[in-house]
Amino acid sequence: MPTIGADLVRQMAAGDREAFAVFYDRYAPVVFPLILRIVRERADASDVLQEVFWEAWRDAPAYDAARGSAEAWMVTRARTRAIDRIRATRRRSETFVAPLDDGIAAADRGTVMTALDRLPEAQREVIELAYYAGLTQTEIAERLKQPLGTVKTRIRLGLERLREVMKASP
Amino acid sequence: MSHEPYETLAAAYALGALDGQDRLDFERHLAEGCEACEASLRESAEALATLARSRPPMIPPPAVKQELLRRLAATAPTGRAAAPPARRPLVWAVGTVVAVIAAAGFTGTWVATRYEAQLGAMARESAALRARVEREEAVLREQVAIYRNAADLLRDPAAQVVTLRGLGPNPGATGRVIWHPVNGGYVFVANLPAAPPGKAYELWTIGGAAPEPAGVFQVDASGRGAHRIAPVAGGKPVKVFAVTLETEAGVAQPQGPMVLASAKQD
Repeated sequence: MPTIGADLVRQMAAGDREAFAVFYDRYAPVVFPLILRIVRERADASDVLQEVFWEAWRDAPAYDAARGSAEAWMVTRARTRAIDRIRATRRRSETFVAPLDDGIAAADRGTVMTALDRLPEAQREVIELAYYAGLTQTEIAERLKQPLGTVKTRIRLGLERLREVMKASP
Repeated sequence: MSHEPYETLAAAYALGALDGQDRLDFERHLAEGCEACEASLRESAEALATLARSRPPMIPPPAVKQELLRRLAATAPTGRAAAPPARRPLVWAVGTVVAVIAAAGFTGTWVATRYEAQLGAMARESAALRARVEREEAVLREQVAIYRNAADLLRDPAAQVVTLRGLGPNPGATGRVIWHPVNGGYVFVANLPAAPPGKAYELWTIGGAAPEPAGVFQVDASGRGAHRIAPVAGGKPVKVFAVTLETEAGVAQPQGPMVLASAKQD
């Protein structure tokens, strides 16, 4: 289904800079909080945001609306680049995992009720560790001291539940 | 191998959490063209995008957009077809805003509505801001032109400088007229209160019996104002310059209180 977002990306692919500015105004306010949630530092988040939109401009010709909305295209890209950033930081500092800032997460949840909060705690936890902290399933199992199979199951059930919730209230 | 294990792998893959042999296995499976897994990944990506949108939108630092637009302007449009020439960006952007608002109406969820409403508000704010900047820029250009012309006029030996003094309720008000008998001149005032709504200051040149109107002007927030004075018809000498407070459009004969006046010139 053609949407405004997909139209904008198509115009960007044709070299339309005006369309890029509109595209930025439309999606930057959505992906910026996500990037900030992941990298935590505003300056880092601004860097990542710029990188993400620059790549969107570059990769616009490769976008295929049949494979997903422009919003999902940008959110996936933003999440990936933000995780790249924190993984690079982790490698440099040689700490295995920066402790998940429970304070921020809790304060966040206090003010922003997201669909994640409607998941059972064990499922919400693995999804947050994977999606926002960038841990792989093996790292999550080590961190939670749970069998890998348990973590895989929780991830699958949690994501299925999230999809149901999102379908119910798009 | 049944398909069921891949559904578990697809979930971890969608979250970027798949690693090791599982990841190799799943990527091979995808490469073989599994439509069910493709669809599952698409659905997960859309759900995660909806999750991202359910957070309150946050305006990033303006420097990010400025830098992106600067980088964009610095790149020649190589490798891209030139933008179609017949586009009308403004009309199209307005269309987008309208469509966005319409879309909000159709989806009807509080999340989408709130977000789209903010987008609409942002678009309106930025349009208003742009209009304001343009207005202020025009005013500034006008002021700069007046000062530049006044400076040029001062170099003419025939130009004279006349001091205006505050009267009545504004003894602190001051003014200067740079006057050329043939070319006219400029008046600069300071420490005048902003004229009340619907009112403006009007300058008068007095040579013969009746004062001649010489234009209306306003002062800015700091009490300053500058105004070009047209030459007096016939080049008649001006003996007194005066400023009164009148209705915005100006009047033919002074009616309001006099706020500034010069000493009589000979």
